[in-house]
Amino acid sequence: MKILVCIKQVPDMESRFRLNGEGTWYDEADLAFRMNEYDEYAVEQAVRLKEQLGGEPEITVVSIGPDRVVEAVKKALAMGADRAVHIKDDEYYRKDPWQISSALAAHAASRHYDLVFTGMQSQDRGSAQVGVTVAELLGFACATTLVGFAYEGGTITVKRELEGGSKGIVKLRLPAVVTCQLGLNTPRYPTLPNIMKAKKKEIVVQPISELLKEAELTGTAGMYPPAKRGGGIVIEGDVNDQLDRLLGILKEKTTVLRAA
Amino acid sequence: MEATREIYWNVGHAVVLPMYLLTLVALAACCYGFYLRVAVYRQAKAQDRLDNPGKRLSLMARNLFGQLKVLRVSGPGIPHGLFFWGFLTLFIGTLLVMLQADLTQPLFGLVILKGTFYKFYSLVLDLAGVIALVMLFGLTLRRFLVRPEGLRITRDDYLMHLLLTAIILTGFFAEGVRIAATELRGNPGLAEWSPVGLFVAKQFAAQDDASLKQLHTLWWWGHFLMVLGLIASIPWTKFRHLFTTPANYLFTDLRPKGSIAAIDLEEEGVEQFGAEKVADLTWKDVFDSDACTSCKRCQDRCPAFNTEKPLSPMKVVQQIGEVAFGNRDASLTETVGSDALWSCTTCRACQEICPADVEQVNKILEMRRNLVLMQGEFPGEEVMVAVNNVEVNGNPFGMAYASRGDWSDGMELRTLHEDANVDILYFVGCYASFDKRNQEVARSFVKICNAAGVRVGILGKEEKCCGEPVRKLGNEYLYQMTARENVELINGYGVKRIVTTCPHCMNTLGRDYRELGLEADVEHYTVFIDRLIREGTLAVDERRFDYTYHDSCYLGRYQDIVRQPRNILHAAGGRINEMERSEKESFCCGAGGGRILAEEKLGSRINVKRVKMAEATGAPLIVSNCPFCLTMFEDGIKTGDCEGKLQARDLAEIVAQRLQPMPVPSPEGLN
Amino acid sequence: MKALLIGEYRQGKLLESSYELKAFADRLGAESAMVLVGSAAEMPKFGGRLYLADVASYGEYNPDLHKKLVLEAIARENPDYIVFVHSSYGWDLAPRVAAALKAGQVSEVVGVLDGKFEVTCCNAKLRRSVAPKSARCVITIQAGAFTLQGEPQGVPQLETLEVSDTSGKVEFVGYEAAEQKEVDLTRAEVIVSAGRGVGKKENVPVIAELARALGGELGASRPVVDAGWAPHSHQVGTTGQTVSPKLYVACGISGAIQHLAGMKKADFIVAINKDKDAPIGEIADVLVVADVMQFVPALTARFAR
Repeated sequence: MKILVCIKQVPDMESRFRLNGEGTWYDEADLAFRMNEYDEYAVEQAVRLKEQLGGEPEITVVSIGPDRVVEAVKKALAMGADRAVHIKDDEYYRKDPWQISSALAAHAASRHYDLVFTGMQSQDRGSAQVGVTVAELLGFACATTLVGFAYEGGTITVKRELEGGSKGIVKLRLPAVVTCQLGLNTPRYPTLPNIMKAKKKEIVVQPISELLKEAELTGTAGMYPPAKRGGGIVIEGDVNDQLDRLLGILKEKTTVLRAA
Repeated sequence: MEATREIYWNVGHAVVLPMYLLTLVALAACCYGFYLRVAVYRQAKAQDRLDNPGKRLSLMARNLFGQLKVLRVSGPGIPHGLFFWGFLTLFIGTLLVMLQADLTQPLFGLVILKGTFYKFYSLVLDLAGVIALVMLFGLTLRRFLVRPEGLRITRDDYLMHLLLTAIILTGFFAEGVRIAATELRGNPGLAEWSPVGLFVAKQFAAQDDASLKQLHTLWWWGHFLMVLGLIASIPWTKFRHLFTTPANYLFTDLRPKGSIAAIDLEEEGVEQFGAEKVADLTWKDVFDSDACTSCKRCQDRCPAFNTEKPLSPMKVVQQIGEVAFGNRDASLTETVGSDALWSCTTCRACQEICPADVEQVNKILEMRRNLVLMQGEFPGEEVMVAVNNVEVNGNPFGMAYASRGDWSDGMELRTLHEDANVDILYFVGCYASFDKRNQEVARSFVKICNAAGVRVGILGKEEKCCGEPVRKLGNEYLYQMTARENVELINGYGVKRIVTTCPHCMNTLGRDYRELGLEADVEHYTVFIDRLIREGTLAVDERRFDYTYHDSCYLGRYQDIVRQPRNILHAAGGRINEMERSEKESFCCGAGGGRILAEEKLGSRINVKRVKMAEATGAPLIVSNCPFCLTMFEDGIKTGDCEGKLQARDLAEIVAQRLQPMPVPSPEGLN
Repeated sequence: MKALLIGEYRQGKLLESSYELKAFADRLGAESAMVLVGSAAEMPKFGGRLYLADVASYGEYNPDLHKKLVLEAIARENPDYIVFVHSSYGWDLAPRVAAALKAGQVSEVVGVLDGKFEVTCCNAKLRRSVAPKSARCVITIQAGAFTLQGEPQGVPQLETLEVSDTSGKVEFVGYEAAEQKEVDLTRAEVIVSAGRGVGKKENVPVIAELARALGGELGASRPVVDAGWAPHSHQVGTTGQTVSPKLYVACGISGAIQHLAGMKKADFIVAINKDKDAPIGEIADVLVVADVMQFVPALTARFAR
């Protein structure tokens, strides 16, 4: 079996973000990077499937971006992926989800993967499109938002997380693409022997120009910080006045009170 | 009449041959027993513990003959010491007899045991014997009647107490009937130099000669055979500590306290990290279980054991021995158990007090290394999250690394990146950088430096976690990664002096980082401030306050720094109410060993126990010098319902509130 | 300008979020029609054309089938925008439709500005303005970002929606009801947490009452759990659960870093504390300086109305 895991390296979400010079993306200086959290669950699930099948499947991990994404790729290798492809693109942020999906599909086209794992969305752009679009381009079956996964003889039975905590159970046959939700499993901490082995695993580098032939279907017109959090409003005084003020603010600033 | 004794009186010189033959057999059994044990020690890894032999021998001599470590706990320590000296004296006495009877007299006609010397010899031996007997009796009462909590009684203990008592008693009985048959009639004046023997002799005075001689033969042989029995049993029973414990003094760890072997991550072909089987430990680790006498002093002081966690340092040491000598392929981590292994706070109370120089902590750390590096196991998911945070953002909280220096906004200090021309680098550490409560300590320290005219700089966002908690939790790989980055950075700036407000950072930078090439001097801020005060560079207002002081483990035990903080607090007007467990006997706050990152799920809370100890002194304030301790005490005060009765402060805060402006310009040459 | 709204129907119910689609269309100033795989018995209060496919024949959500139905409706209606709610239905179906049309998709829209669509990035720390480059555009809107002014009203003009080829690569098997036993705060949209400031164990139910009134879950800070006032499953913080609700109300919580680390991702944070300088004030959007046990019951009462 050939498995593909698509991962993205994103900034740690605790960082303070500043805009880049053009105002189209965030400035990378002073940011700590890590594997997209959703993709960690994808890598883990792929490795578990490989273990379930006695080690037979071969897992390829692929990522698009500048040189720094190799760190995330190495982590995937240390977790148990066998080989890697780095699609080098220093201006990855200029590609829209359609272009990213096309490049990934172009890579997968001749390689006959049976199963593709990826996170359901990225933590930075969060468009939640790439997984499904790749499936459509490849003509694969697709299920999203996985919180449960089981494989048996060419068929996968998955649980999709629905609003309110309930789950939808669906079955699909390979070849398929699945996108993973947080909590699907517990991503392993790589053991030291595996980290050492990962250093010797193959990472093929390919420029994105070789794979991307599509133009963008959406474009970023601008990026800006949201309206300030008001620096924190302090409400003092009489209880009733406080209540009035608080409720007014809550109605204005949050969406949850419509349920109340 | 001559003051002397006929050696081999009554038993006759014919006993010499069988005596020596039997002794040889006993010695052979003893050697064989140790030979078998050495084979077991050698299944583990090699380690050089014979470097610097002069120093080692000196330490062994002082600890063995001076019984220095044994005496630290005076209750059972003094009796053991006296028993030891008593028995040693008797042994030397017997050697002198052997020397004369089988060497000097037959070969050179030289008699040593005569005259005044013999009189004193007799007296000293009798006294030694009775002291030994009384002490032994006391220790027997303690073990079998009083039964102190946690002191296990084994088959060996019955054997040892019985055998030793019987040996001393038969010694006195044989002496007594000999005196009754000889000196009592022929040289009563001499008999008075053996007061105990004389006493026994008088009990048998009525017996006739033949009976006395029969009894003497019986007790002489009984005494002799029991001694041989003791010798032969040494390697097979706890008697082995006669050799193994002094040997452990010889093999002691001469490195600075808290030193851990770094794993060479560059080494090719290494498949095993940490200790899973006995073979992964060093021979010394196995030997420690033979040197251990299960005295339970470590267990008594272990903060984990004393809060109902499944960890006992004594048990861990014994378990390693059991596996090594029993089923050497058994899994150590499974035998000891994860819960026990993760409970250790590396406070070193066990090692500090151990009278046999056993090294409990590093065994636990090696097993933790196996759990983390080979099995990816953690004490809890929250620890894995914290470890990942250190990997991504250089701090366990997961706060953006770029904001690490933000606490210093508005203060008079620069990052080294802006201006590397500073007197000291203040290595802030993760807690003082990010935790609101501890940021107060950082700010206080900077204020103190400003007042003393010390130019202080920080690394700001370039600083990474020193790596200590992850290292103590077994993650050697991550530790080395973050440590090397810090070393390269600090060396790159040409830093000469580092001061830190965290004892963990201080130990890590000052000891662990040396192996990785850190060049600068590293000092804890209490030593630094103490010197500033004594030099007159820093003036502190004496404003009276009552307090109790907590000696943090990594400062008190690891670094032996107990005086300087007290000096400072005294200068600041403090009146101290010491806790019962202070200085080297201080009780851990519970956060060491990386446990600050973990949740305390088992047993009762260590920090609450310590806070209660502070409360019991009646002082309204507990002062500490470590960010972990401060965090633990603030938490413990709330959980332990001491709010309003007790407050927690760091020493830096106390000093910062009492700074006097300097009347003279700050002196140069602080470097 | 025409918008085709894809409503959602599940387990015999029309989801309320479907009306948010209308609100979005209104915001755009677009004429709207709706698509629904649902039942004539549960029709939305919507005044435009409704392309209804009967759920009795087509079954619960089957992506390939729904895609075909939606494409059929698009062929007939010829909209400029195809709008979904960004839900487990929307983010699953929308990209399939977009790929089939080779249309651009803008996901989780929170606003419309100058004809461009506003979305959030990086845990809502940044906003991005996106412009479609294709003739048609698929949009998914953030749940709760657009609310209808007033009550939904109208009777739809029914159009039957059907396709002959009902094959698909994904087979629906069933639903699994939400677990009731363990408290999973990570999915909660509203969390009201009790800290030491509530005073004693007997006061925690007061906080739980507010949580209930807001349709949320009870959380707790570590000292509260340690003291046994609340079970560990409610603990928020580095050694408890890390949460990211839309609204987090911290009652009597000082703001120790371990707690902050567990909840600072919340969209909106209200802190109720009698200490004006409590550290939690630094990250709270609103700090109500009040006695927790006085303020919280009064707040709960306002919601009972």
